Amino acid sequence: MEAPQYVAARIQQALAEDARTHELGIHVDVRGDQLFLRGQVSGTEQRERLGQVAHEAAPDLRMHNEIKVVVVSEPGEDEHLD
Amino acid sequence: MSTLTNVRIAAVGDIHLGEDVRGEYRKRLEGIEERADVLMLAGDLTRHGTLEEGRLVADELRDLPVTTVAVLGNHDYHSDQQDAIAGELRDAGVIVLNDDGVVIECGGTKLGVVGGKGFGGGFAGKCASEFGEREIKDFVAHTRSIAEAWKVALKEMQADRRVVLSHYSPVKETLHGEPLEIYPFLGSYLLAEAVDTVGAELILHGHAHKGSEKGLTPGGIRVRNVALPVLGKAYAVYCLD
Repeated sequence: MEAPQYVAARIQQALAEDARTHELGIHVDVRGDQLFLRGQVSGTEQRERLGQVAHEAAPDLRMHNEIKVVVVSEPGEDEHLD
Repeated sequence: MSTLTNVRIAAVGDIHLGEDVRGEYRKRLEGIEERADVLMLAGDLTRHGTLEEGRLVADELRDLPVTTVAVLGNHDYHSDQQDAIAGELRDAGVIVLNDDGVVIECGGTKLGVVGGKGFGGGFAGKCASEFGEREIKDFVAHTRSIAEAWKVALKEMQADRRVVLSHYSPVKETLHGEPLEIYPFLGSYLLAEAVDTVGAELILHGHAHKGSEKGLTPGGIRVRNVALPVLGKAYAVYCLD
């Protein structure tokens, strides 16, 4: 059986290299038969694509897509550099 | 003698625009002229660096009411279309820096901006050096040549105030939150060293989505990581008082 660390590394590589995603900052954890994805992206579609690519890379694992979609808010307070 | 007026800089990086979010970011830039004198974009404007995405970014930034300066990031290089993407942005009125500088008039103050993508290598004491295999030497030499170009551009620049715009980080403080193991791929101290040698008031960068906003160079120059996921807002505004 492939060690979970190698499975996680393979999934992470797929998320970075697959033309559908090219997402470098996703944290991938494999625990037993479970796969956890964490991180932040800018839209729900990208989150779904990441889930899809991860699933294809490890179809036997039960996936938990915990990636958060960052809501871009209005600019807040200015910072004064004096 | 010129008197320095305050300059308000809006800054953001890593907007990673794609077809599914077309028009969204532009909406967030509405009213920017009330908040800032200039907008600086710290690279990774696209996701895959395709020309189509480059055109989308150009549309999103076209003819903004404030001067807009950008550098590209590693994502913008992925499809080897970086020159064409830069061309699209320039056609849309964006100043694109590629290891050079520009001077912008901001209410009587000459604001000098030097920058480019930057590159990695790591931080003092824990970094790659120009030793061993050709591939490693090329990697470090690439960063070194960028740092040298910034130093020259800063030295030659006739400006009242100076800001540096990068994609990669010049310091490790603003990487706090990222795994230590990947620091060498997130930036290089050579960038900070170059800027410290000549002087600037602020260095802006992106790239480290899980990093922290605020840091300092060893020489005491303020560094701000303006990656969109770090800011969690459309852009930050820094006032040089």
